[in-house]
Amino acid sequence: MNGFDFILAGTLAAATPMLLAALGELVVERSGVLNLGLEGLMAVGAALAFITVYSYDSHAMGFAVAAFGGAALSMVFAAVVLGFAANQVAAGLAIGVLGLGLSSLIGKKFESLTITGLPKLSLPLLSDLPFVGPLFTQDIVVWLTALLAVAIWGVLNHSKLGLIIRAVGENPHAARAIGFPVLRVRCAAIGFGGAMAGVAGAYAATVYTPLWADGMIAGRGWIALALVVFGTWQTGRVVFGALLFGALSLGELAAQAAGIGLPSQVLASIPYAVTILMLAVISSNRRRMRLNTIASLGQPFER
Amino acid sequence: MTTTRRSFLKTSLAASTALALPIPAFAAGETLNVALIVPSPAADVGWSHTLMAGVEALKADYGDGLKITLLENIPEGPDADRIMNKTVADGNTLVILGSFGYMNGGLKLAKAHPEVAILHASGYQVAPNFSPFGARYYQGTYLMGMAAASLSKSKKLGCVGAFAIPELITSINAFTLGAQSVDPSIEVSVVWVNSWFDPASEQEAAKALLAQGVDVIFSNAQDTPSVIAVAEEAGVYAFNLNSSMKAYAPTKYLGVVGTDWSPFFKASAAAHLAGTFTGTSAWLGMADNVVFVADWNPDIPAEIVEKITAVQATILDGSFSPFTGPLTNQDGGEAVAAGVTLGDDMILSMDWHVKGVITPLPK
Repeated sequence: MNGFDFILAGTLAAATPMLLAALGELVVERSGVLNLGLEGLMAVGAALAFITVYSYDSHAMGFAVAAFGGAALSMVFAAVVLGFAANQVAAGLAIGVLGLGLSSLIGKKFESLTITGLPKLSLPLLSDLPFVGPLFTQDIVVWLTALLAVAIWGVLNHSKLGLIIRAVGENPHAARAIGFPVLRVRCAAIGFGGAMAGVAGAYAATVYTPLWADGMIAGRGWIALALVVFGTWQTGRVVFGALLFGALSLGELAAQAAGIGLPSQVLASIPYAVTILMLAVISSNRRRMRLNTIASLGQPFER
Repeated sequence: MTTTRRSFLKTSLAASTALALPIPAFAAGETLNVALIVPSPAADVGWSHTLMAGVEALKADYGDGLKITLLENIPEGPDADRIMNKTVADGNTLVILGSFGYMNGGLKLAKAHPEVAILHASGYQVAPNFSPFGARYYQGTYLMGMAAASLSKSKKLGCVGAFAIPELITSINAFTLGAQSVDPSIEVSVVWVNSWFDPASEQEAAKALLAQGVDVIFSNAQDTPSVIAVAEEAGVYAFNLNSSMKAYAPTKYLGVVGTDWSPFFKASAAAHLAGTFTGTSAWLGMADNVVFVADWNPDIPAEIVEKITAVQATILDGSFSPFTGPLTNQDGGEAVAAGVTLGDDMILSMDWHVKGVITPLPK
C-alpha cells in the first residue's frame, strides 16, 4: 500500500458522511426549504447511533435509530418554518445549535468510548483489478450510499414524485393551484433530509470513526451544505463534489506522510474556496441564476 | 449603582456576621473552593481528565473542606470570560483555566480580583496572582523514541499532530532524537491535521502514515483514542500524551507520556491558603513529578528498557537534556553547536525540526 492506494481506498468512505447529508439536503432544498441545521442533525444521529450500537451491538439498529432521531428533530424545524412560516435561516441555525447541545447531553456517558466498525467487502473481480483495485473494497454502507445516490437522481429527475417536489420548490403557488399539497410535500422532504443527516452522523460515529466524542462531526455538516451549492442542486455534481472534497482532504494527509511539503492549510481550504467561486459564477448574471438555483429557496410559503 | 433594600440587607448582614465571627482567612480545618474550567468534556481519558484528576487529588489535603466546581466543554471566547467571572462571584478563590484561549479573560479576572489565585494552562503571561503552567512532554517523548526505535522494523516512525506549534514540535524533535540515539537511520513522518479535535481526520492521518510503512505512531495531542485505535487494529505500536489509553490498545500500546498535575496543584493551593502565592511561569517536568512515563509495552527488549531507565535517571537529576548539541536541522544546517544545551526560552519557541523528520514544517 502506498499513498496513492490510500487515497483511492479511503476517498469513498471519507466522502460518504458528507454525501449522505448532502443528498438529503438536496431533496429538502429542491422542495424550496433551506435547512442549515445539518451539523446538529448529524451530531444527534451520531450520538444516537453510537449509543445504540454500543448497547445492543447492532449497526442496522443504530442506523435506524439515527434516521428516526434525525427525522424527529427535523420535524421541530418543519413545525417552525412550515407551521409558523418562520425565517428558515434562523430556524435552521437554531435547530443546528439545539442538535449539537442534545448530542452532547445524550452522549455524555459515552464520551471517548470505542466500538467495532463494519467489515470491508470486496467486490469480486473488480477489487482484483490492477491499479484501481483498492477502490472496490469498502464497507456495505458505502455501496448502499452509491445506490441511494442513483435512486435519488432517478426520483428527482425521472419520476412524478420528483416533478412534484421540484414544482413545489420552483413555484409553490402554481403547484398549489394545480392541487399539490405544498406544505405536506415540504414537510416530507424535511423529514427525509433529517433522516439522511441522522444516517450520515451514524456512519461517521459507528463505521467511519467508530468512537463517540462530543463535537466529532467537526464541520462535516457545513461541508455537506456547501456541497449542495457546489453541485448547483444536481445529484451527479453533488456526488462528484463529495468525492472531490474527500480525495482532497486525504491527499493533503498523504502528501504530508510522504514528506512532501504542501501548504496544508491552503489545501484544506480549497473546497470552501471552490464553493464560493461556484456561488459567484452562478450569480454572475440573471439567466445563470434562474437556470441554476431553486426559485423559491428559503421563502416561506403562505396561502 | 442603586442600593436596593435587599442588597443593603445582604451586605449589612454579611458585615455583621463578619464582625461577630472574625474568621481568620483560611485557618486550620481549611476550606478551599476550587473551580476548574476545561475546553473539552472531562472524559475517562485525555487532557481535561488529567486536570480533573489533579484537582481531585487535593481532597487528600483538604478532605471535606474542599469544594470543586468543574465546568467542562467551555468554548474559548467571551462566554468563557463570563463563566470564569461567575465562578469567582460564587466564592471560588483558586481558579484553574485549562486552555490557552482563556488567557486574556483570565488575566482581566486576576487584575479585578487580587485575592483570587489563577493557574492557566499553556500560556505565557504572568501576573502577581496568575501563573501559567505547562508540561515538559519532550522529556518523556525522548524515552518513547528510544523504545519506538527498538521495535520498528521499517525504521519509519510517524506522528499525528494537531497544530504545528512549538510545544508539539519540541515533542516530535525529542521523539526523533531519542529514536536516533538507538538507531541513527530512523526517519519520522509527521501529519498535521490542523485541528485540536477531529477524530475522523486523525484516523485518516494515522492511516496515511501506515500507507507509508510507518510502524510506530506518536499520537501528539489527541484527546480521544482515535489514533491509538487505528494503530491497534493495524497491529502497529502507538503512544500518546497525558493519560494512558492502554485499554484501547491492549497488545500494541507502547506506553504513555503521562502528566500528573497534583504536585503542582497541591503546592499552589497551599501557597494560596498561606497567602504566599506569587505568579510564576511553571514549566514542569519529570523532576517535578509532573511528567512521567508508564505502561511500557512488554515487547521492548530488556537492554533497551535498561538504557531507557538510565537516560531517565539523567533527565531526572538534570544532567541530560535531549536538546544538547550538536544538533542538525532538517536542511542539514547546524541548529545547536556541540556542547551547547538549549535554554528554556529556545525550547519554548522552537520552530524547526531536527534532521530525520522528513515532513517539512508547514509555513
